Amino acid sequence: MESLTSLFAGFETALSPLNLLWALVGVTLGTLVGVLPGIGPALTVALLLPVTAKLPPVSAFIMFAGIYYGGMFGGSTTSILLNTPGESASIITALEGNKMAKKGRAAAALATAAIGSFIAGTIGTLLLTFAAPAIADIAVQITPGAKFALIMLAFVTISATFGASPLRGLLSLFLGLAVGLVGTDLQSGQARFTLGRPELLDGIDFITVVIGLFAIGETLYVASRLRKGKDNVIKLEGGAVMSKEDWRRSWGPWLRGTALGFPFGAIPAGGAEIPTFLSYTLEKRLSKHPEEFGNGAIEGVAGPEAANNASAAGVLVPLLTLGLPTSATAAILLAAFQQYGLQPGPLLFITNGDLVWGLIASLYIGNAMLLALNLPLAPVWARLLLIPRPFLYAGILVFSTVGVYSLNNSVFDLGLLALFGVIGYGMRRFDFPVTPAIIAVVLGPTAESQFRTALQQSNGDMSIFATQPFTAFLMLCALAALVVPQILKFRAARRAA
Amino acid sequence: MTQPPPTSSARPGVSVPDLLVALTITALGIALLIGSREIPFGMNAVVGPRVFPLIVSVGLTALGVLLTVSVLRGDRAEPAAEEDTDMEAPVNLAAPGIILGGFLLGAAVLTSAGFVIGTAIMYFSVAWAFGERRIGLMAFVALAVALVTYLAFTRGLDLSLPAGVLKGIL
Repeated sequence: MESLTSLFAGFETALSPLNLLWALVGVTLGTLVGVLPGIGPALTVALLLPVTAKLPPVSAFIMFAGIYYGGMFGGSTTSILLNTPGESASIITALEGNKMAKKGRAAAALATAAIGSFIAGTIGTLLLTFAAPAIADIAVQITPGAKFALIMLAFVTISATFGASPLRGLLSLFLGLAVGLVGTDLQSGQARFTLGRPELLDGIDFITVVIGLFAIGETLYVASRLRKGKDNVIKLEGGAVMSKEDWRRSWGPWLRGTALGFPFGAIPAGGAEIPTFLSYTLEKRLSKHPEEFGNGAIEGVAGPEAANNASAAGVLVPLLTLGLPTSATAAILLAAFQQYGLQPGPLLFITNGDLVWGLIASLYIGNAMLLALNLPLAPVWARLLLIPRPFLYAGILVFSTVGVYSLNNSVFDLGLLALFGVIGYGMRRFDFPVTPAIIAVVLGPTAESQFRTALQQSNGDMSIFATQPFTAFLMLCALAALVVPQILKFRAARRAA
Repeated sequence: MTQPPPTSSARPGVSVPDLLVALTITALGIALLIGSREIPFGMNAVVGPRVFPLIVSVGLTALGVLLTVSVLRGDRAEPAAEEDTDMEAPVNLAAPGIILGGFLLGAAVLTSAGFVIGTAIMYFSVAWAFGERRIGLMAFVALAVALVTYLAFTRGLDLSLPAGVLKGIL
């Protein structure tokens, strides 16, 4: 009940005219960047960070939350109408959704995606409302050693357990950790890896890393293998609507997708990819028309889209209660909190309750706005896909430049941006996932400081990580998450041979 | 890592680009390791500023060696499929080269010639690299985008961006 009281106070904050406006700006921007190729919610929040420094934190976070949820709605439009999923979480949507669109059922596919996203987002936010304070209550007692072990667990699951190649995921992670080391060590004042450059004393701003890896890297990569010829964007007449029969077939997948998506988002399992796959498989098995799957089954859009959005809500649970980001966008939100001098974690609910609850309340509002924006306005968003690529990517590069340059008014930063752009290109070309690097850049310094605090408390005795029961348990989980999938793979390979 | 070679893309021989990447990562790990050893232990601290960098650089080096080994066994990376890419198209390395060149040129003149000129150069080179050839239109859009961005940031958001040669006019 305590949650409800706080939530109502949160609604008071979020429903102020100014904050409603920021929510609207956020969801509109989010849908926009979700639809557009080459730019996504993670990049957008990173680009906006320097600009929003003057906003009150509540308003900024209400806008960021809108961008976060909006990106999910917009992403489904692209995969249904263009069949080129931008994020791995939309692969499944493209699978069935684009087939539906080709059969002239684009409106129904967009509608089931949007309504499913709304329902999943709302249920997910509801679960967040009640789960987060409960978890925060427990998490207050976590020791620095356990916090370090928790971060290790997240590092391992995000980079190694669920990725295609654990080795490449871990390499990406360590690259991010190395970048996070550059600059002055806060505990000792010692400069590390600055190569004598005064510009590096403050470290490499994660915004430069994110924009370089995402925007510049993506632009360079797409330019090298640009798809020639006209895109077959499927035309859309009128808004997104669906028939009674579509409703009947959609509501089950929506709810099941939500049930799968939320917990997968809340544990550090590397994002929304797995629950969307699981939801697809589940719906195919339960369906009375399994033969339709692969030819445009509406259940194959409804379930995965709901799973996708529910996991987006789930991601906010560890982010807000433990300060643990489990996706690239969450990592940037964490950095945004830090920029405002706030540390997400159990104490945030006590010290900045109005901010947290205003943010949570705005998620409900943003979801409703997104539904209103996406059903009738679907044809408008669809038109965005017709923007000529040369002008689109050129614009993204210019905005990236402004975002990074305005951090310190420094051309040196632009050089770093180019460097990370080239690295981002290389990561795409050589199949390294980008998310582990981003999470490591943001979370690496926290990991180091918890590691050192824990060891200071034990007078340098490393056994602290093995003797505290909870810490030891988390460390064992991290080890298992690293080793067990390899053993399973090895056995499967031996059996096949 | 003892993964079986992927059946779909298994071609005989060692991929030279993959090997170069693996060796670069290993070299970076070793460089970090040398750099870590130059960080002092730190005074009065149980865990100084040196410990964590050592762990990270040893980890990076070890992973780099593992990658090198797996590449030498014939492992090769599959390029990522993104929106707007065609995996069957021949790789065109000139296009990212033009973008990078335009970006560095724009960045170099950003303070002297000004923000508008600098970012317009960047805009133009990206549009060119993406196959646009209507030069008049590109120049117009590049300058318009650069100018609008400049005005929005300096007037609207009170950020200071270099005016350069347009000083006094803007």
